[in-house]
Amino acid sequence: MMMMMMNATGQGTNMIDAKLVNTVMQAVMEVCGTMAGTQVTLKEVIPTLDYKPIGDISSVIGISGEQGEGMLTLSFTEPMAGLLVGRLLGMAPEEITSEDMCDGIGELVNMVSGRAKTSLSEDSGSLYRLSLPSIIKGPGHEIGGRPKNCPFLFLVFEAEGHSFILQVTFRHF
Amino acid sequence: MMKVLIVDDSAVMRKVIIRELLKIGVEQANIQEAPDGLVGLEVASQESFDLILMDWNMPGMLGIDVVRQLRTAGIKTPIMMVTTEGEKTNVVTAIQAGANNYLVKPFTPDDFAAKVAQSTATKV
Repeated sequence: MMMMMMNATGQGTNMIDAKLVNTVMQAVMEVCGTMAGTQVTLKEVIPTLDYKPIGDISSVIGISGEQGEGMLTLSFTEPMAGLLVGRLLGMAPEEITSEDMCDGIGELVNMVSGRAKTSLSEDSGSLYRLSLPSIIKGPGHEIGGRPKNCPFLFLVFEAEGHSFILQVTFRHF
Repeated sequence: MMKVLIVDDSAVMRKVIIRELLKIGVEQANIQEAPDGLVGLEVASQESFDLILMDWNMPGMLGIDVVRQLRTAGIKTPIMMVTTEGEKTNVVTAIQAGANNYLVKPFTPDDFAAKVAQSTATKV
């Protein structure tokens, strides 16, 4: 199994499975393309030491597996979320209610999670389990209960002049 | 004219599905919505439909349990699961429970139209 190696804590080598990251990345692109008619490209991958609160609305998915546990967070600015949910609904971003914005982002991320879960299960049996997504809204929002002392990967996606962030972390048992 | 019940806890997904149904000629007046499995079970038990579109993960009652209860009650309306649960074991479970067809989200408009056509052509 291919692994991304990062010595993030100084107490040994922490690893984020590249297959997990690649699968989620592909799922993000597929869901945005198929359901929201939006071509998304990966602009940058940045390894960091902790989660950073970014954007106005985030959706969090828990990961559990035989080897450890982790978290995926997709964070959007309001204009980015409005673009995607607007495309999903066939509406202009300014017509979307706050309720539909949260629901739409939750549904898109639910599809990302489901698509990734299916691919991971086909590729590696039941190595990972992904939870249903939860939504957190508000500028500078924090995510509670996240894994500590773990490396995070920031994946910066770009679409039509806007960007959004996928943060991935995984702590091995 | 085809009468359809959509059972999905996401209002946004119900709107997306309604848009796709309108595109293939279903009239708005013939589309009903249920925001969870319990309401879906109640509506599907009381009214006749040509097709039920069923999400899997919903609060209160899972879509798969609604399918089982409808079939146990002898309701033979074609049911198509429309869900993010794309694993093969889930597809098998749904068919064994009595679903006629299975569409995994994300889906294209063409996938949706083809699966609806297949679903309404099948009988339990």
